[in-house]
Amino acid sequence: MQLSLVMHDWRLLERIVGLTNRLGCAYTSLSVKPSDAYYHATIDFVGPPDALRRLDAQLTRLLNDEKEMSR
Amino acid sequence: MSQLAESTGAQLVLDILADEGVEVVFGYPGGAIMPLYDAMFSHPIEHILTRHEAAAAFAAGGYARSSGRVGVCMATSGPGATNLVTGILDAQMDSIPMVAITGQVRSELMGTDGFQEADVTSIMGPVTKRAVCVRRVEDLERILRAAFRVARGPRPGPVLVDIPNDILKAKCPKMDHFAPHPVPIASERPHDVAIDAAIQLLRGAERPVAIVGGGARSANAVHIFREFVAMFDLPYAATINGLGCAAPGDPNFLGMLGMHGWKAANISVNNADVIFALGMRFDDRVTGKPDKFARNAKIVHADIDASEFNKIIPVEIALRGDLRATLGSLVRRAAQSQPPRFTSWAAEARALGGPLPADRAPAGAMSATSVLDAFFAVAPPDVIVATDVGQHQMWAAQRQRAIHPRNFVTSAGLGSMGFGLPAAIGAQMANADRTVVAICGDGGFQMSLPEMATLRRYDIGVKILLIDNQRLGMVRQWQELFYDKRYSHTDLSDNPDFAAIAMGYRIPAQSISDEADLPAALATFLATPGPAMLHCACYAAENVWPLIPPGATVHDAMNGSASEPEPAIA
Repeated sequence: MQLSLVMHDWRLLERIVGLTNRLGCAYTSLSVKPSDAYYHATIDFVGPPDALRRLDAQLTRLLNDEKEMSR
Repeated sequence: MSQLAESTGAQLVLDILADEGVEVVFGYPGGAIMPLYDAMFSHPIEHILTRHEAAAAFAAGGYARSSGRVGVCMATSGPGATNLVTGILDAQMDSIPMVAITGQVRSELMGTDGFQEADVTSIMGPVTKRAVCVRRVEDLERILRAAFRVARGPRPGPVLVDIPNDILKAKCPKMDHFAPHPVPIASERPHDVAIDAAIQLLRGAERPVAIVGGGARSANAVHIFREFVAMFDLPYAATINGLGCAAPGDPNFLGMLGMHGWKAANISVNNADVIFALGMRFDDRVTGKPDKFARNAKIVHADIDASEFNKIIPVEIALRGDLRATLGSLVRRAAQSQPPRFTSWAAEARALGGPLPADRAPAGAMSATSVLDAFFAVAPPDVIVATDVGQHQMWAAQRQRAIHPRNFVTSAGLGSMGFGLPAAIGAQMANADRTVVAICGDGGFQMSLPEMATLRRYDIGVKILLIDNQRLGMVRQWQELFYDKRYSHTDLSDNPDFAAIAMGYRIPAQSISDEADLPAALATFLATPGPAMLHCACYAAENVWPLIPPGATVHDAMNGSASEPEPAIA
C-alpha cells in the first residue's frame, strides 16, 4: 500500500512509524520533501490486508487532527 | 485583536483558557511551569492543587466526563509531565475532551538532558490526539485554540501543549479581545441512502438489538437515542460507557453487555439477526472472541470515526457521522412510513434475564455486593458515581441506576487503578450541587489516597465508599479461576486503618463490617456535609459474576459454580 501524505509537522512521521509497527505492518520506503509550509511524504507499507486497512484509517484520522492543529 | 499593552506568554495562556470557557484547572507546579503559576496567582481561573500530577489528569478527566466540557490539567516538565501520561491515555481510550499543558525547560536547554527535561511531545504522541511544543510565543494563541478545537471533536480526546519556560516568560502583546474563533468542525451526518438502507435492514429483522456506547455521551445523543429505541420498541444493551443512556425504568434495557454483563444483554446480542451498534467500538471486553460474536447478525455501525468501522467486527452498513445527527436522521426517515415494532421480541429478550448470580458472603462476613445494592437503593437519583477499577467497578456497573451517562464516571477502556477518587474530585468541581460518590476498592484507593488532602483543602464534598476486601480482588478472582489458585501478590490483608487515615485528613469516617449496620451508616454517610468516608470491610473471596472468560463466548459464561471460598482472611 502506497500513501502520499501531506503534513505541516514532519515530526508526525514519528507517530506514523510507531503506529505502523503497532499494527503489525512495516514500511519498505519512505521519502519526504519539504514544499512551502508543508511536507509531502510518500510511504510504501506492507502488512496483512486487515492491518493495512486499519492503518490507512488511523492515518487519515491522525492527519485530520494534524491539519486542524495547524489551522 | 487589538494591542493594548505588554503581556507574557503565561498570561496569554490563562486569558485564552478563560476565553475558551475554562473555569477550573487541576495541576501541580514545578520549576519549568513557574511563570504560569505566577500568572495564576492573580487570575480568576480556579486552580485545584492535587497531591500528584496523575490525580490532576484523572480529575480533569472526571470533570470532562461528568460535564461534557474540556477538562484541563497542567504540570511541570520532566517528571511532572510523565506523571500525567496515564490520565491522558485514559482520556484517549474513552474519547474524553482534555487539554493538558506542561511546562518545558528553557528552549536552549531542550535536547541537553537538562534538569527535569523530557521529550514530552514524543512521549505523549501515542497517547494523545496531538502533542505539540510551542516554539515561538507568536504561535501560542493559535496552538492553544487549535488544542481546544481538536480536543472537543468531532471525536473528543486529549491534546497536549508543551510550553518552554522562556516562551511562558516571553513578552507579547496583551489582547483586549481575541481573534475570531475558527469555525468549529462541522458535525457530519451519514447520507440518506445509507440511513434508508439501515432502516430497511431493521424492517426485515426478527431479532434486532441496539448497543449504545460512549459515543452517545460524547455526542449529547441520549435523548434522541431514547426516542430511537422507543420508536421501534427495540431491546438494547449498553457498553460500560453507555450506561445511563437508558430511560429510567425502561424495561427494554437489557443491561450492561460484555464480560461481566447481564445475561439478557449478552444472549440477546449473541442471538440477534440485526445489531445497531451506536457509538461503540467493539472492545474485546464486549465482544469476547470476535469471530464468535453475534455470528448471525448483520451489523449497522454508527460512529463519528471511520477508523472504527470493520476494526474488530465486520459491519454490513457503516453510518459515519455525529451520533445525534445520525439518530435524528434514522428517526426522521423511519417515521416517513410505519416504523416496525418489535414488542414481542423485546419481551422475549427481557425474559432471558434474571437476577445477577452472586456469591454473597458466609455468615458473619459482609458482602460487597450487599453494600452496593444497599447504596444504590438509597442514593439520590441524580447521584454521580465515580468508580475506581476492579471488582467493585464491575459490581457497581452491574447495579448502577444512572439516569444519564455523565452520572457514571469510570475508567473503562484503560482500566486505570487510582482513577476513582481524583475523578470524583473533578466531577464534584463540575457539579457543585450534586452528590458525588467515589466507589473505590482498597487497592486503587491506595494509589490516590493523598487526594483526601485535596478534598479537605477545598472542602470538596466527595463521599468515599470504600469496598475493602483486603485483596486486589479482580486479579485474585482470576488467580482463583484461571491460575490454579496461586494467589501471587494479591493479598492486602495488612491494609492500614482507612477510617483513621481519613480522620487524619480531618474527613469524617465510619468503618463497618456487619451488614446490619449498613442502613444507618449509609444514611449518615450521605447526609454528612462535605467529604466523608464509609469504609466497608468485606469478605475477601466474593467474585464478580457472571464472567465470560477472556477470548470465550457468551455460551462459556461462568455463574459462580466454579468459585470456592478461600480460607478466611486473617
